Amino acid sequence: MRTTLAIILGKLIAYSSKLLNIGGGSTAPGLYSLKIDPKLIEKLSAKIPTNIVITGTNGKTTTSRLISHFAASQGLKVIRNHTGSNLERGIASTLIQVAPQQRFDLGIWELDEAAFNLVVPKLNPNLIVFLNVFRDQLDRYGEIDSIVNNWGQTIQTISKNTKILINGDDQNLAVLKKGFKGKVQQFGVKDYKIVGEGLSHKREKENLDFEVKNVQPKGLNGSIFQLTINNELLTINLPLPGIYHIYDFLAAFSAGILLKIDPKQMILSLKNFSPAFGRVEKLDFGYIFLIKNPAGATQVFETIAPLLKPEDRLLFALNDNLADGTDVSWIWDADFEQLKIENLKLKIVASGTRANDLALRLKYSGFDPKNIIIEEDMKNALKQARKGLKGTLFILPTYTAMLKLQGILTKSGIKKHYWEES
Amino acid sequence: MKLTIGYLYGDLMNIYGDIGNIIALKKRLEWRGIEVEVRVKSQESRVNKGEIDLYFFGGGQDQQQTLVASDLESSGKGRIIKEEVERGVPLLSICGGYQLLGEYYKPHNSQKLPGVGIFPVYTEASHDRMIGNIVIDSMFNTLVGFENHSGKTYLKKGAIPLGMVKTGFGNNGSDKSEGCIYKNAIGCYMHGSLLPKNPKLADWLLEKALKVKYGKEVKLAVLDDELENKAQQIAVSRFG
Repeated sequence: MRTTLAIILGKLIAYSSKLLNIGGGSTAPGLYSLKIDPKLIEKLSAKIPTNIVITGTNGKTTTSRLISHFAASQGLKVIRNHTGSNLERGIASTLIQVAPQQRFDLGIWELDEAAFNLVVPKLNPNLIVFLNVFRDQLDRYGEIDSIVNNWGQTIQTISKNTKILINGDDQNLAVLKKGFKGKVQQFGVKDYKIVGEGLSHKREKENLDFEVKNVQPKGLNGSIFQLTINNELLTINLPLPGIYHIYDFLAAFSAGILLKIDPKQMILSLKNFSPAFGRVEKLDFGYIFLIKNPAGATQVFETIAPLLKPEDRLLFALNDNLADGTDVSWIWDADFEQLKIENLKLKIVASGTRANDLALRLKYSGFDPKNIIIEEDMKNALKQARKGLKGTLFILPTYTAMLKLQGILTKSGIKKHYWEES
Repeated sequence: MKLTIGYLYGDLMNIYGDIGNIIALKKRLEWRGIEVEVRVKSQESRVNKGEIDLYFFGGGQDQQQTLVASDLESSGKGRIIKEEVERGVPLLSICGGYQLLGEYYKPHNSQKLPGVGIFPVYTEASHDRMIGNIVIDSMFNTLVGFENHSGKTYLKKGAIPLGMVKTGFGNNGSDKSEGCIYKNAIGCYMHGSLLPKNPKLADWLLEKALKVKYGKEVKLAVLDDELENKAQQIAVSRFG
């Protein structure tokens, strides 16, 4: 009775928030329904035969989306939490919207670093994927060591039949192998390891279960690389740029193998994969790359730096809202120096609530302040950046700045509402 | 002219964006045509007297901080840095670095960990997490930053605070003091990074370093700090 009531209330909230156009109803229904029935997630997720959980600092949304794409291409019916709502209430909201009438083969749940410990015991997943752990919003999540320790404690309490997949190149995750009673499998890229905030070449050979090799980058078009599965060498043409996307692919692909999805079908289906909003979003005048922490931002800089031309422009947007982290110190740990544009005289627009901090970071990484326009308002910033643009505009926003940008682009008819995208 | 900056445990104490202070010091020297070298001094490295003209020591995670505490003592680096500070060598330490240079740190359920004893302060673990933007009044006028700590630091009699809190928690959240200044050494809880948005403080450290090294007052060339000052003013108007 309690559960039914919780579901009905949740559906009502979702319906009215959609009707009133006040957001896609991606968290509020779950929030209130959980108050009525705290066991809602356990009950509803138990009806799904296979559940997988994805966590880590960077790449959760892209990885979830890839697994979902792989599974759907095999005809599996997938349910997952959308649009970055990776807290307990986001999971509950998703489950409520489809209960009780629909049936699913696979549930894919992305959980943020903190929600993981709360929700994993309730979901009782068949597979957990740990992507990476970097410094991110220390004001919210705390330090890396304590994040990994908490994950370690959580996986000690779950069934040893749960399959665990970790990024073998992230040395911070290695302790998870010790704490878990069951089997842990590892994925990674040959000759790379993740140190501190970035990637570097590794000295010793890791024992990887899924290993990518022979990486050839193709700029913004992605990269080509190889992988051996069942003694067969497969070549993959990934349409997402940057080494960090190879890791997201590899996590999703390895998960797909463990879920017994045909590897060749997965590779074929990449042709019509489109990334999540803001993570490498292609617009007709440029690209959007989400930046939200030092490691992620540095990886984006590494990806775009070799491609920048003198007629291109950069629009950075740094907000300090709760969802971005209120501490903007992290921009000093991000390797802006990678952009190496001193000699290119690129025009740069710095925007967002902390536009001045950004401009200062750019000045100290070698950019000429004369070429930096400071415009806190995103709408005006975008206008300034596009005015007389001859090359490509690279837009690099933090999370809430990206949502704001999405709104601006939607109003001008360039993008759909994000909650309408799947 | 040339300055050598010693980045204490830069490989272990580096997650709070404090490297921005090194970047600011380095750039502000380069822009004035003064040569600069940054040397990371960590577990395996030695520090010689007279080798380093300016020390920087940032914040880190608990586990790394414990490692660093024992290395400071066992390697003798703590003793040398203390003697150098007595000689007037400038030093900036933040958060974990500041705590380690005080007299001791008292964790929740274990014995006091002895500090280097440069600052006449001591720190006790607490269950309050003091997080947020911080604005203080100091001898360098207003300073802005971001604090994130649970240790509470108390000044002993005669200790001089770096400044008084206008917004935020500061040393301990109760007596309004923030940081400590002893000779040319500063300890505080201000991340942000601190020096880029507070260029007066950055230049004070550089002038002290040049004075100690070359034995005479060195007047630094004036830089265009419009962007620096504006970033500070905006932080003050938003949080102050």
